[in-house]
Amino acid sequence: MASRVSGRANKRYAVDEARRDEDHEGFLRHKGFRWLWVSLLVCLIAIAGYAMADVRPRPNGGTWMGYTLGTVGALLIVWLALLGIRKRNMTAGRWSLKAWTSAHVYLGLSLIVVGTLHTGFQFGWNVHTLAYTLMILVILSGLYGIFVYATLPRAIAANREQMTKAQMLESLAALDRQLETAAQPLGREESDLVIAALAADPFRASAIARLTNSYPRCRTDAALKGMASSAAGEKVIALLRKRRGQLAQIRRHMRLRALLDIWLYFHVPMTIALIAALTAHIVSVFYYW
Amino acid sequence: MILRIRTIDFTASGREIVRLRDVDTAEITVGRASENTIHLPDLAVEQQHLRITPQPNGELLVEAAGTLGFTLDGRTSTGGAIDPERGGEVGLGSYRLEIGRADDGVPLITVRQITQDGGELKDRLRGFTLERALPSRRIMSWAALAVILLAFLAIPVWSHLHRPEVEPDSGAHGQEIGGNVLMDASWRTGDLSSAHHGLEGQCEACHTTPFVAVTDQTCLTCHEDSFDDSDHANPQRMANGRAPFGAGEQLLWDIAQVFNKPGPGACTDCHTEHEGAGAMEPTSEQFCADCHETLDARLTDTALGNASDFGKIHPQFQALVTPTRGAEAQRVSLDDVRGDFGGLKFPHDMHLSATNGVGRMANRLNPGDGPLDCASCHTPTSDGVRFQPVNMEQSCEGCHSLVYDQVGSTFRSLRHGNVDAMQADLAAADRAPRHPVSTGRQRPGMFAEGGIYYGNFSRVSSAGLARNALAPDGICGECHYPATGSGQLAVVPVVQTSRYFQHGWFDHNEHKQEDCTTCHAADTSSKATDLLLPGIAICRDCHLGETASEAEVPSGCAMCHSYHPRAGAAPASQSRPIQISARDPPRIANRAR
Repeated sequence: MASRVSGRANKRYAVDEARRDEDHEGFLRHKGFRWLWVSLLVCLIAIAGYAMADVRPRPNGGTWMGYTLGTVGALLIVWLALLGIRKRNMTAGRWSLKAWTSAHVYLGLSLIVVGTLHTGFQFGWNVHTLAYTLMILVILSGLYGIFVYATLPRAIAANREQMTKAQMLESLAALDRQLETAAQPLGREESDLVIAALAADPFRASAIARLTNSYPRCRTDAALKGMASSAAGEKVIALLRKRRGQLAQIRRHMRLRALLDIWLYFHVPMTIALIAALTAHIVSVFYYW
Repeated sequence: MILRIRTIDFTASGREIVRLRDVDTAEITVGRASENTIHLPDLAVEQQHLRITPQPNGELLVEAAGTLGFTLDGRTSTGGAIDPERGGEVGLGSYRLEIGRADDGVPLITVRQITQDGGELKDRLRGFTLERALPSRRIMSWAALAVILLAFLAIPVWSHLHRPEVEPDSGAHGQEIGGNVLMDASWRTGDLSSAHHGLEGQCEACHTTPFVAVTDQTCLTCHEDSFDDSDHANPQRMANGRAPFGAGEQLLWDIAQVFNKPGPGACTDCHTEHEGAGAMEPTSEQFCADCHETLDARLTDTALGNASDFGKIHPQFQALVTPTRGAEAQRVSLDDVRGDFGGLKFPHDMHLSATNGVGRMANRLNPGDGPLDCASCHTPTSDGVRFQPVNMEQSCEGCHSLVYDQVGSTFRSLRHGNVDAMQADLAAADRAPRHPVSTGRQRPGMFAEGGIYYGNFSRVSSAGLARNALAPDGICGECHYPATGSGQLAVVPVVQTSRYFQHGWFDHNEHKQEDCTTCHAADTSSKATDLLLPGIAICRDCHLGETASEAEVPSGCAMCHSYHPRAGAAPASQSRPIQISARDPPRIANRAR
């Protein structure tokens, strides 16, 4: 009897574990890299077709092979861009968002092969090469996105030190309130330094400052430098140091978030630009048929 | 120990109410229950939430009373010490307990409620992301979309639809002339070939109608005089000669025709543009093979052999020859050719020998130059493609002298090529005073007149010379055949063929690195009627089909043949641009001579 119970428990454990594993399987490993294999197959067919097709006088986008690769590539681009719509509807199962994302990543990478073969390695200063360049930039930004999504969340979690973003802000606010009180005995000049430090919004930072975590005109640093040591000054300096520490955590978080998010500021607008360039590319080819 | 507690409350109108009280206790309790020293009416606060215990060293120890923690200077904590001198802040629920020291040195705990607006916090939290630092993705996307569609689509299309109607102008010297459509240079898929370079900026010259492919009619706008429908073959025969499409090719043509592509057989099928600057890409041999690979199966009466690949399927060359004296010139396969009668007696082997009398004579006349070689008589034409006719006066007369008399220091020669003048010269020679042959002195013995070794150096009789000129050993007959029938002294006209292959192109200049005898077996030819042309096998030593990677020179049809034949002009070469010579060099030199 006991063994039956334990057997059932084991089975449930195994089922739970399997489900958990599945839940934890990222979009890259989805279904044993199913879309990676599909993508590799697409690349293989494209390369084999390119190598074997007898196109005259030389391979380019205007041969039957070129048009075929171009059509496949254009359809892929449109479908890949639809992720922006699809991701706003979460569903499970065969067409789960995870499956869709997995396919988005791997089929997007296969576009490098399909798109490049479509060009026949002919490039120039024209809208056609513009579309190709945008496509490659979109893919590269996507690759960067995958890379940071895989590496940065751990660093963000480590930087949090169990604090939520609200707590970081609350901590800063608490220090500011104490600073306000502690700075009461200070003279005019030092008071101005404290006012400047308190008034500085940590989020008023440019994208570059966020990405590089470099704030040469930090008011808290300036206040620390300008503060003369006195009995009242000691307390304010201690609080300013704490404030600087708290700001550093917030700024590290901002840097990691910026590194994590920056690719989307390229990936999304460039995808739209790519769709525009692709439209111009296709229409122009048929317009000057 | 005495502690001062300052409570700050707000009235409904927002006015601040500050209450101060001193407590003397060993432990301050904080919580929602009213019995606590500090009572905080906030549901987020526990009934007994934390204890504040003054320590002997003056610090205040803050500990959680239950399991729920609090924030110490904003950080979650369950216990910690605060030095009133340095200050600190404890947070629980919406209340903040700020710990410091009053002016009189008593530790001071200021209690105040923080009003936290959830919406505002959410807004604040957004500051962590790049949203605050960069323009929105939506705006960037729309901007990029608008700029690209406007610059690369709307402007060229609008400008094309509203362009003024002008004749295409390819420029005086092929220089580029701007077109009338704005921004369509961004549509250019590649540079035009050198032949069309002048049209580089004028896309609309060929792309006349939107969404309509470039048609033959468009090409004929400029090329109407260059070609006609039948310059390659009768259009009907061409249509019959084309092999039926395979399934795949038929499908491709079906799709192409859905998109209004002209063809098959359209100009653009062979002449693809925008493949880059330089010569237009030569037409692939497959275009020729489409018909010619199995032409005899469809055009059963064709005189042409099947051809699809120079290395595999190509008939033996046919040369234009005169098989026998008096016969009409005709094209004969090199496999069947018996000879080519040119009207001259000339053994190549004798003239090229280094050891016989010819060789020695050449050595003596031009010491250091050695025996005769091909270049002694054969001079290339200025373009190097072929050879000039051999000229008797320059090439032969150095040895085959036509001198018949000496007057003082002047040698008198017969005029070559003019029988009447020759006869007149000889007749006049007899009337002129001449240098005596004998001095009048007698030689002795058997060398004397009447002796068996007497040499009778009498005057040459010019009449006899003329009479015997056409004999096989005569002055003319040595090289020429006598013409019969006219009753007068005459020789058979000499024909030197400068181009044997009428439909193929051979450029000697391109083959300069080879010895002449590699292809022309002149050193073993003893008769002038030997046709010293190499067969296809010799060409195939280097030249195989376009796709033959093992060949030294992969050669498509267009290397030697032109689809639109123009007499005397080279076909599209794979290494050089098409050169159209201004004048048509004579196909057969000296034929009328």
